[in-house]
Parts: sequence; C-alpha cells; structure tokens
Amino acid sequence: MRVTQSMLSQNMLRNLSSSYNNMGKLQEQLNTGKKVTRPSDDPVVVMKSLGYGMQVNRVEQYQKNLGEVNNWLDSSDDALDGVGQVLHRARELAANAANTGAMTDNDRNMIKVELEQLQNQLHDFANTKVGDKHIFSGKMTDKPLFNKTTGNYESGTSFKENVSIEVFDGVDLRVSTNVSDMFNNINQLFTDIKNDSDDQYDFGAALEEIDGLLNDVLIKRADIGARSNRAELMDNRLQMQEGAAKKQRSENEDIDYEKTITDLITSESIHRATLSVGARIIQPSLTDFLR
Amino acid sequence: MRSTFMGLETSKRGLYTQQSALYTTGHNVGNANTPGYSRQRVNMQATSGFPGVGLNAGTTPGFLGTGVEAGSIQRIRDTFVDHQFRNESTKLGYWESQTKAIAQMEDAIGEPSEYGLQQTLTDFWQSLQTLSTSPENGGARAVVVERGVAVADSFKYISKSISEIKTNLGDEINVSTININSIFSGITELNKQIAEVEPNGYLPNDLYDARDGLLDQLSGYLPIEVSYDKTGGRALAIAEGTVTIKIKTNGESITVLQKDQFSEISIDGKDLKTGELPGAITGFTLSGAPAGDAKLSAADMKKSGELKSLVESYGYSDTVGGPVKGMYPDMLAKLDKMANAFATEFNKIHQGDPANKVYATDLDGKPGEAFFKAIDGTQPISASNMKINEDIISNPNKVAASTSKPYDDTDPTTNPEVGNGQNAKNLSNALFNKLSGPDGLGGSSVQGFFAQIIGELGVSGQQAIKMTESSGTLLLAVSNRRDSISSVSLDEEMTDMIRFQQAYNASARMITVMDEALDKIINGMGTVGR
Repeated sequence: MRVTQSMLSQNMLRNLSSSYNNMGKLQEQLNTGKKVTRPSDDPVVVMKSLGYGMQVNRVEQYQKNLGEVNNWLDSSDDALDGVGQVLHRARELAANAANTGAMTDNDRNMIKVELEQLQNQLHDFANTKVGDKHIFSGKMTDKPLFNKTTGNYESGTSFKENVSIEVFDGVDLRVSTNVSDMFNNINQLFTDIKNDSDDQYDFGAALEEIDGLLNDVLIKRADIGARSNRAELMDNRLQMQEGAAKKQRSENEDIDYEKTITDLITSESIHRATLSVGARIIQPSLTDFLR
Repeated sequence: MRSTFMGLETSKRGLYTQQSALYTTGHNVGNANTPGYSRQRVNMQATSGFPGVGLNAGTTPGFLGTGVEAGSIQRIRDTFVDHQFRNESTKLGYWESQTKAIAQMEDAIGEPSEYGLQQTLTDFWQSLQTLSTSPENGGARAVVVERGVAVADSFKYISKSISEIKTNLGDEINVSTININSIFSGITELNKQIAEVEPNGYLPNDLYDARDGLLDQLSGYLPIEVSYDKTGGRALAIAEGTVTIKIKTNGESITVLQKDQFSEISIDGKDLKTGELPGAITGFTLSGAPAGDAKLSAADMKKSGELKSLVESYGYSDTVGGPVKGMYPDMLAKLDKMANAFATEFNKIHQGDPANKVYATDLDGKPGEAFFKAIDGTQPISASNMKINEDIISNPNKVAASTSKPYDDTDPTTNPEVGNGQNAKNLSNALFNKLSGPDGLGGSSVQGFFAQIIGELGVSGQQAIKMTESSGTLLLAVSNRRDSISSVSLDEEMTDMIRFQQAYNASARMITVMDEALDKIINGMGTVGR
C-alpha cells in the first residue's frame, strides 16, 4: 500500500488520542477507587452495585435498630431487677410483720411507712423511660404506666400491646414487656397490707403471694433474657451480613490498586513511545535530503 | 518530407509538457495538507506520428514520433472507496450521536453516585426504619418528611434535566436540517459550475474535490446514494458530470438533488413563528423539485445517519398525536411510571384502608392523609409532578406511623398509640413491595424497576460505544485506503520533481543539440575552400 505523510500523521493522532483516553479512564479509576462511574462502563457491575449498596445500607440500619432493641431490653431488665429487690424487701417486712406477738404498733407503723416508700419506688420502676418513651406502657409510650392522677396502673388494651422492632428483613423482635397486670397485683397486695390496721392480716398468705409475684418477675426477666439472646444472635448475624455485603460490594465495584497503577504506568510508557515514534516518523522526508 | 525544424518543435513540446508536470507537482506539494484534496497527475501522451495516416500521406520508412503532450490533468481517486467511506460515515454519524445522547442521559440520571435517586430512596427508607423504632420522636418524623421532600426533588430534578436535554436534541435536529440544506445548496452550486466547465474539455479537479467533501459531510447526516450524469458537449471521457443524490429509506429512495435543483428539507409540524418542534417528530418534507414535496417519515428513515439518531433520541411517532417512541420520551415515561407507582403505593399504606380495618394513624390518632401529592392536581402524580403534602411538611406529627385505630371521642379505648411504629415499617417496605396492576410496575418493586432502568440504559450505552468504536475503526480503515490512493506523498512528489526536472533538462539539451546541428547546416556548410 502506498503510504503518505497525511496517513502517518492521522494514525499517530488517533493513537495518541486513544492512549490519552486510556490514561484518562485509569486516572479516573484511581481517583474514585471505583471500576465504574457510569452505567455504560459496565451495566452488570452498576446494577449489582445498586443492589449491594442498598444491602449495605439496610444492614447498617438494622444494626441501628438492634441498638434500640438492646436499649429497651436492658432498661426493662434493670427495672425489673429493681422490682425484684423491692419485693424481696417487702417479703422481709412481711415476715417481720407476721411475727404478730412481738409487733408493737410503732413497729407496724414503721413497716407501713417503708411499704409506702417501696410502693412509690415501684411507681418509678413502672414509669421507667428510655429517651422520651415509657417502656412499660405498651404502645402508649408517651404515657406513664402508673397514672398519678387516678393512683392506678393503666390497664387499657393499648398499654398491653406489644411493641416490636424490625431487626432484619421480615424479622421482628418484641421489645416491650407486658407488666401492667403484674404491677397491679403488687399494688393491690401493698395496699392491702397498708390498710391493715390490726393483727387480723394473714401475713402467711401474703408471704406466699409475694413469692408468687417474685416468680412472676423472674418469668418476665427470663423472657427478656431470652429475647436479649436472640438480639445478640441477630447482632452476630448482622455483623456477618455486613462483612459479606461490603465484601461483595467491594469485589464488584472497587478497583484493584496494584493492577490499575501498573496499567497506568504501562499506558504511560506506551504513550511516551507513541510520542517519540511520531516525532521521528513525521519529520524527515525526502525534502530534507535533496539539497 | 519532414520539416527542418521539426526536432526543435518536438523538444519544445517536451519542455512544455514536463513544465506542466512540474507545475502540477508544485500544486500537489502546495496542497499536501489541504483536507479533501486529491493528488493530480498529468496524463502524458505521445503526439501522433509523422506522417499522418492517409492515402496521400508521404512515404517514409516508418513513423517518426513528434513528441509529447499533456492529454489531461486527472485527480487520482477511487469512487468505490468513496462509496464505502460514505456508507461507514453514515453509520458512524448514527452511533456517535447515539453515544452522545446516552452519555447525556447517564449524566442526568447520575448513577451510581452518592447523590443519585437511589441514595435518596435509601435515605428515605432508613429514616422510615428509624421512625418505626421511635415513632414518638419528633426529630425522626421531621427527618422522614425532609427525606420525602428529597425523594420528590430527585425525581423532579432528573425528569427536568432529561426534558432539557430533549429540548437541546430538538435544537440539534433544527441545526442539522439547516446544515443539510446548506450542503444541498453548495453541491448544487458546484454541479452548475462543473456543468459549465466540462463541455469545454476541461477537468475541474478542484471542484470535484470540493463536491466530494460536501458529499462526505452529507453522508454523516443521512444515508445517501450518489449517481452521476454526463454533461455532454466536448466533455472528456473521464469527466465526472453532475451528481444526483437520493436519500435511502426503508421504502423507495427519494431524489433530493439533481443537476441544478435541490429540494429543501424541513421538519414537519415545526412552528414557523416560534421555531418550536412538536413533542414527537413525525417526519420531514422535501419541498420543491426534484423531490416534489416528498415526505420522509420518521418510520421510513433508515437506521443510520445522525439525523435518524437525533430523531430516535428526541422522540418520534408514526402519526401526528400517535404513540411516542424514542429514547428520551421512553425514559421520561418510565420515570413517571416509577414515581407514580411509588407515590401510589406509599399513599395507600399511609392512608390505610379503614373499611377493611387496616388503619394508618398519625401521632394525634387521626387517619393518615396522602403523603405524596401532585403539584398540578389535574394531572396524576409523576416524576415532574410530585410534592409532599404541605400539611405534613408543616406538621410532621401527621406522618401516619401507627397502625392503631383512629382516635374516637366516644370510644375512650381508642387512645392514639404514639409508641406504635408498625406503619412506618410498612411504609419503608413500599420500596420493596412488588407492584402490579394498572398503577404498578408489572410485578417489579420500585427498587428493582430503577435498577432495571439503569441496567437497560447501561446496556444500550455500551452497545452504542462499541458500535461507535467499530464503525470509527472501519471508517479510519477506509479513510486510510482513500488516502493511500488520493493523498499527497511529499517523497513521491520530490521524486517526480527530479524526474520531470531531468526530462525538462534533457529536452532543453535536445534543443541545444538541434541548434548545433542547424548551426552546422547554416553556418558550417558551403564554405569549402574559403
């Protein structure tokens, strides 16, 4: 084929522009750390990256949700632990009071006073707040379980409704503990003891009742414990998920730095070669030798 | 009987002819960098011998040559390669324009990025999840509303950007028709000049070059078919004549330029006062002879050339007011569909279905209102026609995060459950619910549908880039082949220069020889004994 100067310069120009193009792409990849910046770079990678990105974001959100779950459960458990201690003290007092022969009116009054204090403490436990929500009020988290105006524990259905939080796609964990009836029973017992004015009260039965109530508290706490275990399990699973999702995302869309830098260096040297070859080929022609 | 001075005459012809060849070499060298220039060559031919052929011609043993003449000055060109070049150029014109249109769309949609619609939807989902864990928290509610506004804004922004690019594409169609008309007019002008020159026995090489350059340009816009008509008179056999241009279509080709006439191309349905284009191109009219007001309908246009690509990107339809096809209208329609489906599903969950005891209530225990609304209430919600209910913006307590029964004065058991975040969770799922039915997405989720849009866009972009690259490579190959035939090689011209220079010198020397010979006759003879 007959080859002319214009062909050589055209070809050189095209080679130069394609090597510039190549370097530009690699530089962009190095700057962003991503293989792709627009859908047409690689539609499959981009589509997958939308999915993986969403997955990572979801797992992160579920981990935040799980933090909320732990808040609820830990606070509930703490409060119920307090309730247990109050009941233990009440049991001691009841045991003392049962010893009717040795009881003076003074002693009895002192017990009544302490019982009243304990009862108030229970109101506080029933109205435990996490942030701005009352955790024992079912779905009525803006209202305390113990209503100071009526002097009663609320027992409406909404106060007994379960609150649950999503911790994974379609997996809900119940965070509320339904204690309305339990607190009512305790309250009833305390009030009964308090109202007793003479030695007629059957403290033996009261002791038994307190034991029953303590058992109730234990059952609730065991339930919370079981749910905490589930939350912990979920946490582990989410951490694994997070790792997997981030790894998949990275494998899908992140560049391999060693490879990309090597590629860049290679294209740089190709570019340089193109430039110097061009400079050599284009200049001399027969004109330079005809003198 | 030959003439005494015939030798001088023969050598003079040699001088003249070699000189013409040298001048042509100079012309070639001078135009070495002129785009579209084809190198020229002097076709030298021996002049007829002596004596002439005939009954009463003198009898000499054998013919005696009488020298050389420049028969014609021809440009070196291969019409077959030109044909190939224009075919490839039409393809490249189409794919380059497609690549550009898709790249602009990718820029408008801006995925993947930290600021795209996908991220906005994800943020919205996260805010709803947070709300589901803390429905009584005013901050969580405000965030949901803000993120909701961001979702509507993202839809609007993308839709608006795409519409703007679509308008720009319309401008480009306009500019293209103006360019095409000016090329038509240029070629017609050249046709006229060529028709005037050729009958006198000349070859207007530089006019041919100019005309071929215009034909190359035209082939980028439209698929064309070029044929030639002889001009007559004393035109040389190698004279090219005038061109006739036909636009290739899916049906019969349309003759748009012939000899000294061309038909002007105009866009159908264009408002002549405002210059505004219809929302979808139905086709073009080629007014005046030789096309005779022929229609080039959008459907009939062959799938190559920049004009067709622009029409496909901008949007076209077979009949006025008919269904609109094309890349940009398709994308706008898909975005509208997606925005509508999302808003409809979201509103449905946000409003509940009290008749079937599916409740959605806000913080005050009131039933949820529509969360997304149309800006223009007479039109359905779409990507460009979408906002958040102002009442909810001014009072985020109105976000219906709860599934409790709406508050009822007469029924004290219906206290608003502020700790109920069940519905916020349901709302967050709007993104992943599979939506079918008239307002749906054919069974896809909003998330899935968007990924599909992006995927399809990417695939067509990749295809367009590949096609641009391959037709570009082919065009370069053909262009190289054409250059290998037609472009000026300085080395070759230098070699020619020396060749012609030597021949010129030798002819001049021949004259000296003749001079000496004649000197012998004139001055050296008949002087014996003097």
